[in-house]
Amino acid sequence: MENTSIKVAYINDQPYQIQDGDTILKLVRRNFGHDFVPTLCDAPNLDPFGACRVCSVDVALVQGGPAKAQASCHTPVMANSYIYTDSTRIKRLRKNIIELVLTDHPLDCLTCEVNNNCELQTVAAKVGVRDVRYPEGKNHLDRKKDLSHPYMTSDLSKCINCGRCVRACDEVQGEFVLSMAGRGFDSHIIKSYNDSFFESDCVSCGACAQACPTSAISDVFESKSIAVDKKVRTICTYCGVGCNLEVAVAENKVKSIQAPYDADVNTGHTCLKGRFAFSFYNHPDRLKTPLIKRNGVFEPATWDEAYDHIANELNRIKATHGPDAIGGISSARCTNEENYLMQKFIRAVIGTNNIDSCARVCHSPTALGMQRTFGTGAATNSIIDLKYTDCILVIGANPTDAHPVTGAKLKQFAMKGTAIVIDPRRTEMARYAKHHLQLKPGTNVALLNMMLYYIITEKLEDTSFIESRTEGYQEFKNHILSLDIANLEKVTGVDRMQVKAAAIDYASARNAMSFHGLGVTEHSQGTYTVMLIADLAMITGNIGRRGVGVNPLRGQNNVQGAADMGCQPHQGAGYLDSYDPEINKMYSDFYKVKVPFSKGMKIPEMYDASIAGKLKALWLMGEDNVQTDPNTQHVMKAMSNLDLLVVQELFMTETAKMAHVILPASSFLEKSGTFTNGERRIQKVQAVVPPIPGTKPDGQIMVEIMNKMGYAQAPYDPDTMLEEISKIVPFFAGVKWSELGDNGKQWPVLPDGSDTEILHVESFKRGKGKFQVATWKESEEIVNHGAEFPYILTTNRELEHYNCGAMTRRTGNVEILTDDVLLIHPADAAKHLINDGEMVCVISARGKIDVKAKISDQVKEGVLSSTFHFPDVRMNDLTSSVSDSEAMCPEYKVVAVNIRKSKGKYKNPELAATQNAV
Amino acid sequence: MSRQLLLEHINTPGIRGIKAFREKGGYSALEKALKTMKPDEVTEEVKKSGLRGRGGAGFPTGMKWSFLAKPDGVPRYLVCNADESEPGTFKDRYLMSHIPHSLVEGMIVSSYALGANTAYIYIRGEMLYVYHILEEAIAEAYEAGFLGKNILGTGYSLDLYVHPGGGAYICGEETALLESLEGKRGNPRIKPPFPAVKGLWQSPTVVNNVETIAAVPHIINMSGDEYAKIGIGKSTGTKLISACGHINKPGVYEIELGVPVEEFIYSDKYCGGIRNGKKLKAVVAGGSSVPILPGEMILKTPTGEPRLMSYESLSEGGFAGGTMLGSGGFIVMDEDTSIVKNLWNFTRFYHHESCGQCSPCREGTGWMEKILHKFMDGHATLKDIDLLWDIQSKIEGKTICPLGDAAAWPVASAIRHFRSEFEDYVRNPEKIKDIKHYYRLNNLQPVS
Repeated sequence: MENTSIKVAYINDQPYQIQDGDTILKLVRRNFGHDFVPTLCDAPNLDPFGACRVCSVDVALVQGGPAKAQASCHTPVMANSYIYTDSTRIKRLRKNIIELVLTDHPLDCLTCEVNNNCELQTVAAKVGVRDVRYPEGKNHLDRKKDLSHPYMTSDLSKCINCGRCVRACDEVQGEFVLSMAGRGFDSHIIKSYNDSFFESDCVSCGACAQACPTSAISDVFESKSIAVDKKVRTICTYCGVGCNLEVAVAENKVKSIQAPYDADVNTGHTCLKGRFAFSFYNHPDRLKTPLIKRNGVFEPATWDEAYDHIANELNRIKATHGPDAIGGISSARCTNEENYLMQKFIRAVIGTNNIDSCARVCHSPTALGMQRTFGTGAATNSIIDLKYTDCILVIGANPTDAHPVTGAKLKQFAMKGTAIVIDPRRTEMARYAKHHLQLKPGTNVALLNMMLYYIITEKLEDTSFIESRTEGYQEFKNHILSLDIANLEKVTGVDRMQVKAAAIDYASARNAMSFHGLGVTEHSQGTYTVMLIADLAMITGNIGRRGVGVNPLRGQNNVQGAADMGCQPHQGAGYLDSYDPEINKMYSDFYKVKVPFSKGMKIPEMYDASIAGKLKALWLMGEDNVQTDPNTQHVMKAMSNLDLLVVQELFMTETAKMAHVILPASSFLEKSGTFTNGERRIQKVQAVVPPIPGTKPDGQIMVEIMNKMGYAQAPYDPDTMLEEISKIVPFFAGVKWSELGDNGKQWPVLPDGSDTEILHVESFKRGKGKFQVATWKESEEIVNHGAEFPYILTTNRELEHYNCGAMTRRTGNVEILTDDVLLIHPADAAKHLINDGEMVCVISARGKIDVKAKISDQVKEGVLSSTFHFPDVRMNDLTSSVSDSEAMCPEYKVVAVNIRKSKGKYKNPELAATQNAV
Repeated sequence: MSRQLLLEHINTPGIRGIKAFREKGGYSALEKALKTMKPDEVTEEVKKSGLRGRGGAGFPTGMKWSFLAKPDGVPRYLVCNADESEPGTFKDRYLMSHIPHSLVEGMIVSSYALGANTAYIYIRGEMLYVYHILEEAIAEAYEAGFLGKNILGTGYSLDLYVHPGGGAYICGEETALLESLEGKRGNPRIKPPFPAVKGLWQSPTVVNNVETIAAVPHIINMSGDEYAKIGIGKSTGTKLISACGHINKPGVYEIELGVPVEEFIYSDKYCGGIRNGKKLKAVVAGGSSVPILPGEMILKTPTGEPRLMSYESLSEGGFAGGTMLGSGGFIVMDEDTSIVKNLWNFTRFYHHESCGQCSPCREGTGWMEKILHKFMDGHATLKDIDLLWDIQSKIEGKTICPLGDAAAWPVASAIRHFRSEFEDYVRNPEKIKDIKHYYRLNNLQPVS
């Protein structure tokens, strides 16, 4: 009698099985489809609200018995109840509600943006309203449109007070900008304190526009209009969150972007970069023809001329200086297939291991640190695990700016649960966190050691996990207990009791998850910090199940993939040791050509080698190293010393200006392939529009040059490329283009195609987890220059811009955030007589720059913070060449500087802005 | 005079202060409960007393208390709903402003029963002077050791706060009240979860009316069984009635439940009959939200029995033939009263006070007012009566909170019992010749 536990309810007198947590609407939708019962205030990614009442159904306790109208969206299903979805009185009720709503709605459907895609229109048609019986009277049709914002628009005369925008702002983004003001008939949506969109605190994520069932809130791209030819699903090119996008195309141009509700990663949400900042793709600045520099001037060339020129030069250099005089830097912005081809080109065609990628300057310490402790340099868990965790630890990451969609989820969590933030800046996350440990930049290792100390002294370690799953604990424990806490407290500048309280919360949570970003890795002790984060997870047993783990927040869309594909000197595709003879043989067999065995150079080593005259040629795939790599003067010197610099680019970046050959590449909207996001999810990038005339996808360029140089490589297409990759990268074994589906697969993907959400469940990749010891050491930057340059400058990101800004500066985002600013504590500003908005001269041992001051208590005294989104500020003139001792990731986060009020010789910022626009 | 509990000492000089209050036996229930009874025993007495919620719904208080979820490690709250704003109701204000300690003592005893260590009195914003009276009473109670840490050495601690609202009728709805108390916009919440499971700050919460809480000390003093002997049937105890309208003696009366309505209106003990010797036309028995009943129907039940002032008797006959005790706002109308004009006034109130969350209520209350305005203007047609009926039927029971019902019932009952009067307004517009004067008086504009 297993049927006794099955509960049923009757919909229109037919029995249907109830599941736990079912509302009436859920039950009806599961059995009759999404639109069977009309709704207005319900949205797929919002909690039930029950305000429009259009979803009302009749509920009776006995068949045909006396019924009560219930809003189906929020009413739990009662077992054995009789639900009537379309009784005459329910139909009349729905009709009456719509009729009432229409009394205060402009009936200008024919000229409305959402004509034929309007939920009100659809429901009105469905319930059959023909005329409105109510007399004329006061209404809100004269409300003014708000067109103040570069992206967001509102026309509240069309508002039906369903509250979806307000709830999207609260529940999805967590920004609380939109709210309902006034009461009853006068209730209306306001932004912040009844401001315009532009003046409000809106972060332009567009969640409200997507949520709005009419066009009361929309965007300048009219993303809800149906005047489009097709919609293509692809993956966002900005950060490592990997949001799915639904791109609307009209006349072969991108018209607008929305977020699919069925996306596992972003469930109907994106940030302003993903949703709105796409207009760079057909910006007039796009490079549209190959350029060869002759006598210091770029001259347009055909593709064949460019390839010939490159091939000749490379062959010449290879012949005279050997293959190791050539290097390649791949891009984490490009697809897996393109990265694979790039490293294959450098290794198999050129014959050197001088291949690196921009992962070097962001998450290389993560890969190394996690490989040393766990055996795999990738996030152990998935973002969805936030639903199962009790405590989050966010270290050196500013996710609400840098990973906005994951950031919004973390923020939502912090508002309800226990969040610990370790960051020198009081970031938005820190404001919501229970513990904010505001340490001095460069002291992560000291602070984490303090946390570990208290976990051990408070006896909160998970002994059974330590015994069964790890090794090296005793030695580790002895080391931690030998530390001088008083000294560490002084070093970090964080009260030990505060650290202790945070440590206790982390260690005693049932499930605790850690997230880290570049504030961990871009330090001279980056790899050590990552290892300590791994130690924290192991000592508390927070590994191998839902809601736990160590989760790096990947900066670029495909940092994970670039490393997976072998774009680093010491590891080939699939992280196999390129210096191991057996593996070398395997690669040689697979590529059908002898691959090199010699030690390759990492990015900073390449610069040094170039300056020393040992590196003669460098190939850059979509990277602006001059603006983004630290110590600009050093980088420029290295670039200018090369015989051949080839750059594949969208725009004439600072680096492209120094190239000998520029190959115009296509953007993510114009090509297909796969990106792997921060949670190891391989997702399909699908060409939305054909490449801009004159440009080629990076993968195609790689294939063409390989063939040009005598290596037979099949034409670029993601299907066959993935097939090749799946044969050499072990954790891609079961990856097939045709089987990736809408939401991709998380590696390792087994040969049978099944994927993996959580790593290290039974055992670690390396067998037992290894506790690694780390001792705090002052950065050389401070040791060498600290006395002369007493301030510490740390670099960060802003929501509106992405890295060097080559893309976002060519979109409306630049109207929202117009320049880089220097965050400075009020006391420091007072000391130097600097007012808010005045120019400050920042001087380091490498150079000096002028930047606008923003007085803020987000930073502590003695700490400054700024961004490098705008080339005219040249922030990286200041940063140092000090890098992580293990992974060689540059130390962007600790720069010894001094400040003074600018003397007025700086570029006029307004003038600079106009120049920029030209 | 029948049995007096809440107002027994209303005429004692200085009863607003703690000294006089204690001299009259105040705070004895507190000592009895905290020192000699377990929390569950207090709840048990309240259950036995048969006390029903005095705010309007009449739900058994003891049962409500026993529904309170008691998960470990989660605080529980008692919130007193003192947002008395139902038109025609002014009993809580009267009680709080004259004998504030009766509420304070009730809050302490009730909080003890519920295991709450923090309690709030959410008071209507317009009653600022009552707010100050309560603040003073609470300060006195703290000083006397009845509030704060370790009350009377029993180990029980309670902090009591008074929180003034911002002047919205909707905040008298318990979940909107909780939202407002949390500092948010006063929108009612969807249920479930009910406040007993997730109320204030997402914690188990009991929300009770002022009069309900003030009755608890009397129950403790006299025992639940004794309290249950007062009144009639399931309507136990005494009830405060705010009597107003065209009567000789308006005011707040404490009655034993079960007094005949006729006696209440005509006896000199209570209302003292209709003003100027006029005839009784209609009564709104429990605050503006309950159905209006014609004079003959309020005095006699559909079965011809004399109607009594009790929960059961007043609602006898359902909505077709009865009404509700509600909050006890007893509005009496004489033969000269215009039911349509009166209804228009009520409808204006609900239109003004709808929170705007649910579409039927937000839009519907507005349209009901506009249509009634047409009647007042003399522009209405007979079809408008049916339209009015249609709208109210689409609001009643179709909204998140009972404000929709409250807005619909007066309209439904006025049409049900006084349809001819509406028709009269359509057929004989000269009847409304005084309307321009009414506009001027109330600074209103006719509908365009």
